[in-house]
Amino acid sequence: MRYPTEDNLRRAIAFVAALGVGVATYIAIADSGGGAPACLAGGSGCRTVADSSYSHIAGVNVAIFGIVGYAILLGTAFFANDLARFTGFLTALGGFGFSIYLTYLELFKIEAICQWCVASAVLMTILFGLAATRLIGYAGAEHGGGARAAKSDPGAGQPA
Amino acid sequence: MSSRKEREKRREQRLREESPADRGDRRTKLLQVAAGAVFLAIAVVVVLIVVNSSGEGGGDARNLKDVAAVDRLLGGVPQDGLVLGDPKAKVELIEFGDLQCPVCKAYSEEILPELIDAKVKSGEVKIAFRNYTIIGDQSTAAGAAALAAGAQGRGWNYIELFYRNQGVENSGYADDEFLTAIAKGAGVDDIGRWNKERKSAKLTGEVSATTAEAERLGLTGTPSFAVEGPGTEGMEILGTPGSAGEIESALEAAS
Repeated sequence: MRYPTEDNLRRAIAFVAALGVGVATYIAIADSGGGAPACLAGGSGCRTVADSSYSHIAGVNVAIFGIVGYAILLGTAFFANDLARFTGFLTALGGFGFSIYLTYLELFKIEAICQWCVASAVLMTILFGLAATRLIGYAGAEHGGGARAAKSDPGAGQPA
Repeated sequence: MSSRKEREKRREQRLREESPADRGDRRTKLLQVAAGAVFLAIAVVVVLIVVNSSGEGGGDARNLKDVAAVDRLLGGVPQDGLVLGDPKAKVELIEFGDLQCPVCKAYSEEILPELIDAKVKSGEVKIAFRNYTIIGDQSTAAGAAALAAGAQGRGWNYIELFYRNQGVENSGYADDEFLTAIAKGAGVDDIGRWNKERKSAKLTGEVSATTAEAERLGLTGTPSFAVEGPGTEGMEILGTPGSAGEIESALEAAS
């Protein structure tokens, strides 16, 4: 199985993480004045979720954690080494797990869906896929920038 | 800038010195740690979900549920005090209930929505809730709180939302914080006024009066229902019917 070049994976991670920073920042700003994100599709789901006690952990809006997570992921896209690959994977894994938990809360505890939270969960899921592919494909590689680099390094780009 | 170049040079040299076997070891270690992290993450998410699921005891002022569902159920239906439905409806169903009573909660969730949709929204029937407080002191406070919400046109929202978030009876959950959270969730606009009125002698006296009425009628438990309409001679006691169908038959006979 051949993987996309690491440079392409890094570009994709940077793009999706930047979108994530935007979405999480919007949620945090909308919530900061005691308000709620505007549900573009109508309904009161965003208001219900924002008013729920689950929207804050230790007084901090969960969107702030999202901004930090996306920012770290964005940062890892600028480096082509194992530290960046592994940090990106762990951050995306944490974000993905947290998104599953938050989606569970929306569906079964709060009983309302906020489309901005769903958008963030989708972005984090994509990032987890990209970061996992990057780690599996290029862990231990000098630089998996292109097909040549991947070929020149056993185990990189063509994992067993 | 020069120090950055030096760092890059050192890094390139380190990588040149590293054999393919070393890189393979590093890759294996990283992937092993990553796999461990995946298992750990799965475990953490499962534990969080299980812990949250086990907290279904209700009575949690900080996490009210079904606010939207109650709004949907009662949206557009007229309310006057604790009477739900068109004031001109000829048939009246009277429920004597205790907000702490779990059987009343079951009726509220499983039987009354069907009746509200079928009979109340059409204007045929109105339902009056009367407090019959038999469980504890907090039942009286809760009943007065519902009456105070009724004074602002949100009495039935209060009752329905209370039932859907009810805790274990007499466990002390129905405190000021819980009652206030229900009022806010029920859409009571003037919380200051509600707070003053719910503690008034007038409303606590009204709770005592309807409880005394229920005892006088010989009711023995909650919820107890009665029906009154053109087809009845005064108030006809139904007791505790087992199904919505039984109540509907009584309502039809009363019309």
